[in-house]
Parts: sequence; structure tokens; C-alpha cells
Amino acid sequence: MSLLEVRNLHTHFVSHDLNNRSRIAKGLNGVSFEVDKGEIVGIVGETGAGKSLTAMSIMGLLQPPARIVEGSVRFDGNELVGLGVDDLNRIRGTELTMIVQSPLTSLDPLSRVGKQLVRAQREHRNMSSDAAWRAGADMLATVGIPDAERRMRAWPHELSGGMAQRILIALALINGPRMLIADEPTTGLDVTVQAQILDLLKNLVRDRDMAAMIITHDLGVVAHYCTRMCVMFAGSIIEMGPVRQVFNDPRHPYTQALISSTPKRIAEKGYSQIGGPPPNLYDLPEGCHYRDRCSRAADLCRTTPPLKNVGGNHVAMCHFADKEAADGTVTSHG
Amino acid sequence: MTDTSIDRSAAVGFTTSGRILGIARRSPTFAIGFAIVTAFAFVAIFADLISPYGAIETFSRQVLQPPGVEFFFGADGNGMDVFSRVMYGARYAFGIAVPAATLMLLIGVPLGLVAGYKGGVLDEVVLRIMDVLRSFPSIVLALAVVSATGQSLINVILVIGFLDAPIFARLVRSEVLALRSSGFIESAVAAGNPTWRILFVHLMPNAIRGSTAMIAVRMAWAVRISATLAFIGVGIQAPTPEWGAMIRQGAEFVISGEWWVALFPGAALVGIVLGFNLLGDGLQDLLDPRRKATGK
Amino acid sequence: MVVPILLGITFLTFMLVRIGDQNPVAMLGGPMADEVTFAVIEKELGLDKPFFVQFGIYLGNLVQGDLGESWQSSERVADEIRNRLPASLELLVFSVLLGALVGVPVGLRSAQRPNGLFDQVSRFVSLFGFSVPTYWIALMSIFVFFFLLRWAPPPMGRLDIASFPPPDLTGSYFIDSVLTGNWTTAWSALGQLTLPVILFSIIVAAPIIKHTRAISLEVLASDYVRYARAQGLRPRTVRRVALRNAITPILTFIGTELTGLLAAVSLLELIFAWGGLGQWGLNAILLGDFAAVQGYVLVLAVFSVAIFIVLDLLVLLLEPRATLRP
Repeated sequence: MSLLEVRNLHTHFVSHDLNNRSRIAKGLNGVSFEVDKGEIVGIVGETGAGKSLTAMSIMGLLQPPARIVEGSVRFDGNELVGLGVDDLNRIRGTELTMIVQSPLTSLDPLSRVGKQLVRAQREHRNMSSDAAWRAGADMLATVGIPDAERRMRAWPHELSGGMAQRILIALALINGPRMLIADEPTTGLDVTVQAQILDLLKNLVRDRDMAAMIITHDLGVVAHYCTRMCVMFAGSIIEMGPVRQVFNDPRHPYTQALISSTPKRIAEKGYSQIGGPPPNLYDLPEGCHYRDRCSRAADLCRTTPPLKNVGGNHVAMCHFADKEAADGTVTSHG
Repeated sequence: MTDTSIDRSAAVGFTTSGRILGIARRSPTFAIGFAIVTAFAFVAIFADLISPYGAIETFSRQVLQPPGVEFFFGADGNGMDVFSRVMYGARYAFGIAVPAATLMLLIGVPLGLVAGYKGGVLDEVVLRIMDVLRSFPSIVLALAVVSATGQSLINVILVIGFLDAPIFARLVRSEVLALRSSGFIESAVAAGNPTWRILFVHLMPNAIRGSTAMIAVRMAWAVRISATLAFIGVGIQAPTPEWGAMIRQGAEFVISGEWWVALFPGAALVGIVLGFNLLGDGLQDLLDPRRKATGK
Repeated sequence: MVVPILLGITFLTFMLVRIGDQNPVAMLGGPMADEVTFAVIEKELGLDKPFFVQFGIYLGNLVQGDLGESWQSSERVADEIRNRLPASLELLVFSVLLGALVGVPVGLRSAQRPNGLFDQVSRFVSLFGFSVPTYWIALMSIFVFFFLLRWAPPPMGRLDIASFPPPDLTGSYFIDSVLTGNWTTAWSALGQLTLPVILFSIIVAAPIIKHTRAISLEVLASDYVRYARAQGLRPRTVRRVALRNAITPILTFIGTELTGLLAAVSLLELIFAWGGLGQWGLNAILLGDFAAVQGYVLVLAVFSVAIFIVLDLLVLLLEPRATLRP
């Protein structure tokens, strides 16, 4: 049993169009994956693919009009979907924690850093303020913040982006979680700082024998820091597998296009790049959601493609996934 | 002569009634507000036709008669029919609100456009003037000006128009500041458009969008403030059938129990102000691209 | 910063009052006066001097605390103001307190369940508060509660006929009577206060409800509230974070509302014969009593400015992000 098991998750948004009729945007369409202890799983995709939505759904942070309509999320065997707020809060912030894209605006502007660290601890267990304060300062040092004692007294608006992100990491780790979800942790940070933060994350996760999920649109991050990866498109995971394998042998046309969009790869593999407009979540095509953009779309693609195993733990959701030759041509066997 | 018109009514959602229903469903507030205001406008326009008596027609023997079949809203202290006067009063409400609103826009929008676009000294000056005017309670200012410049309807309109112009200037100015560096403005500049053209052809339609809801709100305010002035005794005198003036007259009789003289003009006031406010709120709902999270 | 605005307002008022067509000289002189009398009166009022000289003299006096004399009553303007201001303040303060104490929680609760029943009702009530003219609802309430039900006392000022004002400690008849143990006077003052305060607090509460709701909605949708939930903080704690972040903009809003309220309360003063500053000021404007009008407007302006200063200080205290600007 994996630490985190997501099965067939469907998350929808309800909104109203110009004539006040309800429209449903299908943000997640049957997302399933697992994360085990010690793994760092990367979730990649373009904007709107459903990456952050997956994280929000797992953490129970969806606000109306978004809601989970079907599916299950099990953490350590416990079902999270439909769990009451109090029970959810026993797991959130302690066993399962999260860092987000915009650290500076995510910290309470009216509390000092130290107070927020103390609060994160005392809300979940009985601790004296002093003990919590000391633990907080220690954690700041662990995440690489110099002069920790002084930083404990700082206000969030006095921090830089990188420092704020380190503090979010501190907040996420202070209660000894078993899994960390990092939703675009480096967007908006300087390039040099990005690497530092990711290295920090990787080391901490490894040292604590944690599981981690990194959501990003940056393939480079996945390549360097993740052990497994999931590629998302239009609310579904269209390819999933060990990082090296997916990078070397992508089977879904979308993944191929994604990976080939780095100059080096274009030269090496010669995959064609296919861009296109983002899918309309209100009105997804029947069958394969990618077929409007796919150069290899055929009649068969009007039916929903199965998740085909293409070797080891590598799966891809395409009718022609296993008919792929290494040079990208499809040999049709009927 | 062949009929070359296209029958558009077949297209769902494009019929006028379809569109109206669509808007009504999207913002019931707007629909209600619009209905109320239109009803009042109707009364104002057709007062001559639908009011039972004249606006200042007196019946000296039925002074202070309570509401009944003869006088729906009763008769006031001069023996005039309150119902008819309330209807004619609608003319004054619109007659003040509409010109005043026009004036506010005529003054405020160009000021805001220029201040926002050119910036610099002009902007500072306009801002300072707006600050001074803003820290002044408008009632007092209006009162002072109207009593100083003479008791006439035109003055009331002028004062209200001038007083609220800064609000639009401010709104337009901030829109302009936001739009000034946007792509289409920059390309308009690059194409060599003269400044006045950029201001009025390119910037204005976009900058004014955010002010549409405010127009309705200010019209509500114009009606209120002119009624308040009339109530205090400034600007409009009896026997003009203006609602504020009517309430003024009615005030004397409230203590002795003749409630109808003051109630009905006041209720009409509440109605039209409510209507304008709902209209403004509704407009904001419709034009604001950010729908509220709960989708209503 | 503050001074130029005050100066501007004073100048504006000075100008406004003088270009009017009221002629105090004629009114003071009476129908039998002749040219000589007019000249004497003019000289006394200082109206024979050129405009700017008059302004200069006024400013000079102002700095010494002399606001001139009301030609209407021959009292010193400063005295009139001092006598009447507490009455207005009493009405204002009680109404604002009641309005805010009711309005803020209602707005907060509305934001918690947007478009729910409570929200719809409170928005409707608030809308009414916006649309109803103060004086009219006052008149109607007097009719219902005084004439029909006899619950409220006659609207004739701050005390009934039988009572005398208590010793002047705070300026509020009610508080002063309580403080000095004058229970009958206190009861009378309370009775006179009830109707106007309730009415005015509704007017005050309407915008407060609307803006508290809007501010709360924004705060509840913010990144830091969402992250607080992600940290597994208890709902009560999350609410506390949201509340603390909402309170500063809410207080700021109430403060800015307050600046206009001193003038708005004048209408109520008229109807309830309250004897406050507004009633006196409105009369002065109608009659063209120069010095009185200037005094009234000046008080209003100073009041506004004082509130803005207090607000700035408050923000400095509550907001770690605020800094003293040079």
C-alpha cells in the first residue's frame, strides 16, 4: 500500500454563462496515481492541465464552485475525500503538508514569522510556547536561513521571495510530515534561488525518508529532482513512469511534443513539435482529449484510450502508445 | 422591392426577448432596478395623461382629506391631490438626475482622461482639488452654494453636477493610468494619432466602462440631495410638486396625525433611489468580468 | 498637508458666503434704515473693506481663537459652537457605536455564507438604509412611535420639558446624568435619544454592512487564508487570521464614513429639535450669517481632518506594513 493513493479523481467547477445557465468545467477527469515513501513524483503539464487542482483536491482546499464529484484519495490508508474538517486538520499540516507558488502572499501579513511557526506547532500538539519557538528557530536554521533568531521576529513583508519560500518549507516540515506537496515551488523566484530551494527540498525529503510530489511546468526540474513523473493534459494523466524512461522514450504524442521542445532534443530525436490552443474544459472532445491537437489522430481516437503499459512502470494513455517505433512513426497493425 | 432582411429570430438566444431574459437571469438586481426606474420614467413622461388631477390644482374645501377614493393619496394642506403631485414629482426627479448626471460626465470624464494621461502638474492640481472637495460633506457644500447663488432648479442641477464630477474624474483617471501603457494604446501612439484622438476615441470608451454603474448610483444621489435641499427649504419652493418640498410641507402635519402628506412623496423617493441603486449594483454584476466564487 | 486643505476650505467658504445675495446689512438695518445706518452696519461687520483684507483679518482672528460674531444672534461664534457641538457629538457617537456594533458582525456573517439567506436579507436591509432619506424615515417614525403608539416622547430636543440639563462633564446629557446620579434626567435624556439614535444608526450601518461584507469576502479568498487552511489550522484560528486582516480596512472605512456623518446628522437635529451644531449651521447658511457659516464649515473640516489623522495613527499601530511617510 502506497502512502498516497489517488484513484479516479474527478473535480468539476460549476459556473454560469452569459444566459445564466450552469456550465461545468471538468478540471480533473479520472486522475489516478500513487506516491510511495522515499519517492519524489513530478507532475508536469501546461497551464490548466489540472496540476494545482490535483494538489488542492488532495489537500481538501477546494472552494465552491469547485468540488470533487467522484474518486478517492487515500493517505496512509485513510480516505480523505469527504472527511470532516476537524479530521482533515489532524492530517493536514502534520502528516501531509504543502508549499505553494506564492510564498510572500501566503504568509499571514499580520503575524511575525516566529509566531506563525509556533502556531503551526501548537495547533497540532501540546507544546509550550518556548519549546515551539526553539523548534521553530532550529527549523529555520535547517532550511538554510542565517541569523534564525532575528528572522523569527521578522514580518512577512520584510522577506524576499526565496526567504519566504524557505519559511514555507520550514512550516511544512516542522511537524515531521510523511509527505510534502510542492505546488510550483520555484515560480517567481530568481533562477539561482530556484536551484537552492529545490536542492534543499530534495535533501530534506531524503533525510527524513519522506514522500514528495513536485508540481511544475518545468521539465528540467522534473529531470533533475524527481524519481517518477506524471504528465497531465486536460485533467488526465496521459503518461506516467520513471523519469529516465519517460524522457528517453516518451510514448504519448503530447509528452513527445513536450520533451522535444528543448532544442537539444529536437536535434537528437527529431520529434515534431505540436502546439495548439489549450483544451476547453467546458467542452472536451469525446474520447481522447488530445485528439484535436494530435498529428496522429485517427478514427479510433474518438473512443477513450486506455492506459497502456509500455514497459516496467511506464504507462501512456494513447491507442498507439505501444505501436510506437523509436523514430516516432506509427506502424499500424490494425 | 424585395425583402432582404434576415430572419434572425430563429437563432436561439439572439432574440430580443431571449437576451432580456438572459440578462435578467444573470442579474436579477439589474432587472428589478431597471423595471423600477422604467416604471418611474413612464409615470414621469405620461403624467399628464394618467394623473387624476393637475399638479397644483387646489380643492380648498378638501384640505387635508385622508386617502380615499377621491384622492388616492389624500389631499395636502393646500387641498392639492397628493397622488397627482407624486406623479408629477417624478418629472422633477428625472429632470434633475439626468441633466446632473450628464454634467458630471461632461466635466469629470475629460478631466480624468487628461489628468490620467498627461500626469504631471495638471494631475497634481486635479488631485488636490478633488481631495479638498472630498473632505467636504457634500450636503453642506451644496447647501452653501445653492443658498448663495439663488434658489432655482438650474442651480441645483449645476451644483450637483459639479460636486460629483470629481468622482468620475477619479474613476476615469485610474482606468486611464492602468490603460496608458497597454498594447493597443501604445500602438495607437506609434501610429501617430493626435493626443485628443487617443483620449477620446481610444481611451474613453474603455475607461468609461467602469463608471457605468457609478452613473446610476450618482443619479440616485442627485435625486436624494435635491430632495434634501428642497426639504430644508432651498432650491425648490412650494407649490412645485417636488417630492422633497412635499415632505417639507408634510412635516408640519405628521405630529398632528396627517401622515399621508409626507409618506407618499417619501415612499416615491425611496422607490426611485432604490431603483437606481439596484440598477447600479446590477450593472456592476453584469459588467464585472470577475464573477463571484459562488457563481451568482 | 493638513493646513493647505483647511486653508482652502476656509477660503472657499469665505468666498461662497460673500457672493450670495443675502444681504445681512439690509436685514440688520431693517426697513427704516437709511444710507448712514447701512454704512455704520457695514463698518461694524467689517464688510466695507476689500475682500482679501477681510479674509486676512478673519484668519488673524482665527489664529487667536476668535471666530467672529454671529450677526443673527450677536453671540460669539466660538461660544455658539462650544455650546452646540456636544449635542451633535452625543447623537453621532451613540449612533455610530450602535451602527458599527451591529453592522460589522452582520457584514462578517454575510461574508461567511455568501448568497445564503442571512446574506440576502442583510443586503436587502442595507440597501434600504441606503435608499431611505433620513428626514423622511424620521418623520414616519415619529408618526408611528410617537403619534400612534405613544412609545416615543415628543421630538422636542434632548430633554423633556420637566428636566434640567445635568452638570457639564462630558457634554452628553445622558452620560452626565448617569455620572451624577440624576436618574430622572438620565431617563428623560435616554428617552429623547432613543428614536433619533436608532434611526441614525440604521443609516450608519447600511454602508458598513456592505463594505464589511466586501472586505471579508476578499480576505476569505486570499492566499494566506487558503494557506492557513493548508496548514491544518483549526477553523477558529483561520477565522481569527481572517478577522485580524479584515479589521484594519473596515475601521478605515468607518472612519471615512464618519467624516461625512457630522453633517448628515444635522437633518435629524432639525427634525428632533436637538439644538445641535448642524441645526444651527443649516440655519446660518440659509440666512447668510457669514461668521456662523464659516465657523460651522470650519468645524466640519477640522473634524474630518482630525478623523483622518486618527485613522492614520490607527493604521500605523495595527499594520506592520505601514510606515511613516515624510
